[in-house]
Amino acid sequence: MILTRTRALVMRVVSVSLICMGFAQVAPAGMIGTSQLLENEARAESLTRIEMLLARDDVGQQLMTLGVEPALVLERLNAMTTEELLALEHRFDEQVAGGDALAIIGTVFLVLLILELVGVTDIFKSI
Amino acid sequence: MPALLFLLCGCASIPDAVRDVPDGAAVELDHTPFFPQQRYQCGPAALTTVLAASGVDASLEALIDKVYLPGRQGSLQIELVAAARTESRLPYVIDGTLAALLAELEAGRPVLVLQNLGVKMIPRWHYAVVVGIDEKQSEIVLRSGTDRRRVTPIDTFLRTWRRGEYWGMVALRPDEMPAVIDRERYLAAIAALEETGQLESAAIAWRTAGARWPDESVVMFGLANTALASGDYVSAESGYRRLLAQAGASTAARNNLALALAHQGRFDEAMTEIKVALGANDEPRFADVLQDTLNEIQRMAERAR
Repeated sequence: MILTRTRALVMRVVSVSLICMGFAQVAPAGMIGTSQLLENEARAESLTRIEMLLARDDVGQQLMTLGVEPALVLERLNAMTTEELLALEHRFDEQVAGGDALAIIGTVFLVLLILELVGVTDIFKSI
Repeated sequence: MPALLFLLCGCASIPDAVRDVPDGAAVELDHTPFFPQQRYQCGPAALTTVLAASGVDASLEALIDKVYLPGRQGSLQIELVAAARTESRLPYVIDGTLAALLAELEAGRPVLVLQNLGVKMIPRWHYAVVVGIDEKQSEIVLRSGTDRRRVTPIDTFLRTWRRGEYWGMVALRPDEMPAVIDRERYLAAIAALEETGQLESAAIAWRTAGARWPDESVVMFGLANTALASGDYVSAESGYRRLLAQAGASTAARNNLALALAHQGRFDEAMTEIKVALGANDEPRFADVLQDTLNEIQRMAERAR
């Protein structure tokens, strides 16, 4: 319990520092990047810097909650575009995480076995 | 029972547009390396495979750190794409058709695919790498999990791929173009390299795109932008001027031209350009950015005094 709380606190502190530092400034201040030019015209205004930092912070926290080492979070955030960060900020839980995880029981197993035998699925081969 | 089957798998048929490949098509990239996955880590393993096949000295361990999510026991598509960029590759999401997949294989590039090996209600998400197609035998060859050469009937593969929404990506060298090009998606992929600071790769990719479409304004803008971001203000300036001469009014190009001038210490010219852009006001979405740029130029001019 205490550990959990400490971890939560550490995550919060690290996350705030993520907002303040470590933002990879790759272009001169004021430059309009090609991604910004291509952005869907439907978005009335370009994203403000604050909105972008909040998205970073939010996604960074989710990564940490999901067990990514704090030291690696910054690197992973910097690898993503603003569009990607926004997609994760708003729909993190809907993202598919490919990893072969599977939890099944009883009748479900039987049904799956039948599906497999008739060639609908390919679930039981060792992969 | 058939009703139950139907309910479970939502058995829609595979559209011909997805399935069609030329008769007799057969290709297999035997030399594609293989990185057997550890538990739940098909994402990093598949990514390492396509990167290594593209000539990157890729390390599975390093890529696990870049894409694996312990709490989800898996990896996200977005992070696979993002990680490929950090390895100086241009990740491109292919059209979700067997023909596009075949075309990439024929160009010598294996394709990383997302499959759902289970069904919609009980998914088993899996990343694998397609290295071969044999139309006559109706087979797909994959590097998958712990199988170096896994052979799957095309029909089964298509069902599992459909449940992954036909998602597949290739890791292009920045000087390569996709075998089947969706121009918008391709240019956006290059812009993403630029945005995430992979300036060298971005510059090569913009030049590659420019060889195909010399007058494409997005490409000219991208080239000038990588120059500006790399501190080559003279090249950047001439790039933006060329663009402005060709395309007429472009708020974004003028904004960046003003910065390229300011960084050369030519503050008066920079102010003139940014005021022209502000006066024209033909792209309201950039209004705030233009104002920021004007302030930035003033700050730079004061510091230089």
